[in-house]
Amino acid sequence: MSTQVCRPRQNIQRFMGHISPTNKSFVIAYILLVALPLLGLVGVLRSGRRLVAPISVDGVWKFGVDGAHLPAGRCGKSLASLQNSVVTISQSGKRLVLSLNDGPPAAGAGVIEGTTLNATIPLPETSTSEPECGNNIVLALTATIVRRPESRSMQGTLSVSECPSCASVKFQAERQTRSSGGGVH
Amino acid sequence: MKPDLFTLVLQIAVILAVCRIIGSLFHFFRQPRVVGEMFAGILLGPSLLGWLAPHVSAYLFPLSSLGFLSALSQVGIVIFMFLVGLGIDPGELKGHGHAAVLTSHVSIVAPFVLASFLALYLYPRLSDDSVAFTNFALFMGAAMSITAFPVLARILAERNALGSRLGTLAIACAAVDDVTGWCILAYIVTLIRAAKSSTPILITLCGIIVFVVIMIYGVRRGLGRFESSYRERGALSEGQMALMLLLVLASALCTEKLGIHLLFGAFLMGAIMPKEHRFVRYIMDRFETITVTMLLPLFFAFTGLRTNIGLLKGREMWFYCGLIILVATVGKLGGSMLASRLAGMKLREAAGLGVLMNTRGLMELVILNIGLDVKVISPALFSMMVLMALVTTFMTAPLLEILCPIRDTAKEPAGAEAALAQLRVRSGSAA
Repeated sequence: MSTQVCRPRQNIQRFMGHISPTNKSFVIAYILLVALPLLGLVGVLRSGRRLVAPISVDGVWKFGVDGAHLPAGRCGKSLASLQNSVVTISQSGKRLVLSLNDGPPAAGAGVIEGTTLNATIPLPETSTSEPECGNNIVLALTATIVRRPESRSMQGTLSVSECPSCASVKFQAERQTRSSGGGVH
Repeated sequence: MKPDLFTLVLQIAVILAVCRIIGSLFHFFRQPRVVGEMFAGILLGPSLLGWLAPHVSAYLFPLSSLGFLSALSQVGIVIFMFLVGLGIDPGELKGHGHAAVLTSHVSIVAPFVLASFLALYLYPRLSDDSVAFTNFALFMGAAMSITAFPVLARILAERNALGSRLGTLAIACAAVDDVTGWCILAYIVTLIRAAKSSTPILITLCGIIVFVVIMIYGVRRGLGRFESSYRERGALSEGQMALMLLLVLASALCTEKLGIHLLFGAFLMGAIMPKEHRFVRYIMDRFETITVTMLLPLFFAFTGLRTNIGLLKGREMWFYCGLIILVATVGKLGGSMLASRLAGMKLREAAGLGVLMNTRGLMELVILNIGLDVKVISPALFSMMVLMALVTTFMTAPLLEILCPIRDTAKEPAGAEAALAQLRVRSGSAA
C-alpha cells in the first residue's frame, strides 16, 4: 500500500494501461477540459480576495441639513429640501443613482471615489430668484463617507450648482437600510 | 398595505396584451414566443415606457403597487420551477455515453471559469465592498453556465429535431446544467443569507441536507401514489391536484425557511416527481395554462421594471455589457462545441449543440432576479446580464437555421426518444 502511495506516476500508468483507448481519450479530455479549469477557478477565487471594490453606499439615507446657516430666499428653500428628507441611493460600482423619496419625484446621479461622494440632483419645477442662477435648480452634494462596523454615515456640503450667490450648507446623513434589491429605477 | 385592485387589474391587462402582441410578432419571425415576452417586459419598464412616457409609466406602475405585482409573479415562478423540475429526468444522460457527460460538464465548467475571470475585472467596477468577491464570482459563474431547458426544448420541437441525436443530447446536457446550476446557486444564496443571519451556516447546511434526504428518500416514495392513481383512473381528482400543489408550496416554504429560496423547494419537488411520460404531460397540462398565459408575463414585466438600460451610460458601460455577452457566448457555445467535437460529433452538429446550450432564456432571468434580491449583483450589472440573456436566447434560432437547417434535422427518424422528448416539450411552451 505504502509503495503505491510513494509511486504516483507508476500508479497512473498502470491505471491508464487498464482502460480502453476510447476511455483513455475521454479521461484525458475530461482532465484537460474539466479538472484543470476547476483548478484555475480555485486560483481565481483566491486572487480575487485581494481586490478592492468601491465603498457600499447603496440604501436608504436620512439627511439632515444645518438649518441655522441656510441662506435666505428660494435658494435656501431649495437647499432645505433635503432637510430631514429620505434619499435612496442605488449603487453600481462607482456609479450612483439618487432618488428623493419625499416631495416631487427627483432623481440624480453621482460617483464615489475612495471615501468621497459627489452627486447632483436636479429639482423639478423650481427656480431661484437669483438671476445668474438660471431657471433650473441642481443640488450638488460633496460628502465623505464615514465607515463604522455597524453603520455608515456621510458628512459634507450641499450647494446649488452654478449659482455662486447661493452659499453652501453643511449636511450629514445616516444610512437607515440597504435598498430592496435594486428596486425599480 | 391595502392593494389598489384597479391598478393591479389594469397592470395585468396591459402586461398580458403587450406580451401577447410582442410574443406573436417574434413568433412570426420564427423566434420562440418567450423571447418576445421577455422583450415586452423590458419595453414596459424604465428602459422604454418609463423613458418615453414617464407619466404613463408612473400611472401604470406606481412604486407602491409593485409589491403585489412581484408577489403574483413569484407565485407563477414557483409553479414554473416545479414544472421545470418535473420536466427534468435524471436518467436523461443514460444511453448518451461519454459525449453527454463530457459536453454537459464542460458546458458548465467553461462558462463558469471564464465568468470568474471576468469577475476579476468587473468586481472593482460594478460591485461594492458589501459583496464578497467569492460570492460575486460564483454567482457570475452560475448565471453564465445556466441553460434554459424549457426554451431549448421549445426551439427543438419547432424544428422537429427533438428525436435527433443533436436534440436528445442537447436536452440531456441542459438537464444536467440546470440541476448543477441550481445547486451552485443554492450554495451561494445560503452563504450570503447565512452571513446576515444569526443561525450558524453549519446548522443551515445540515438542515438543507436533512431536507433533501427526506425529500428524496421519504416524500418521493409517497409521490408514487399520484402516478399509480393516474394509471388506474387516467386522471387525478381535484383533491389530489390540490394536495400536489400544497406539497409544492410546503416544499418551497421549507427551503425559504432553511435560508435558500422558495424556488429551490419547488424545483426539488418537481425533480423528485414520478417521470412516467403520460403522467408528466398530464400534470403539465393542468398547471401550464394559467402559469404560461398569465403569471409568467407578470414575471417578465416585473423583471423589465427592474431592468434599466439607461444605467448603461457611456462607452465604458456598453463595453462591459459587450464583454459579458462575449464571455457568456464563448464559454457556453465554445465550451459545448469543443467538448462535443472532441467526443466525436461532426463540426456542424457540435456547433449546433453549442448554439443550443447557449440559450439562457427565462431561467437566466429567474437567477438574475435572485441575485438582485440578495444584492450580489448591482442594478447596472443586472441590466447587462438581462441583455445578455436576451441576446443569447435571440441568437439561437437564426444560428441554428444556418448551422443545421430544418430540412437536415427533420430528415432524422423520430423514434421513442423523440416521443419522450415531445412529451417534455410541453414544458417548453411554459417558457
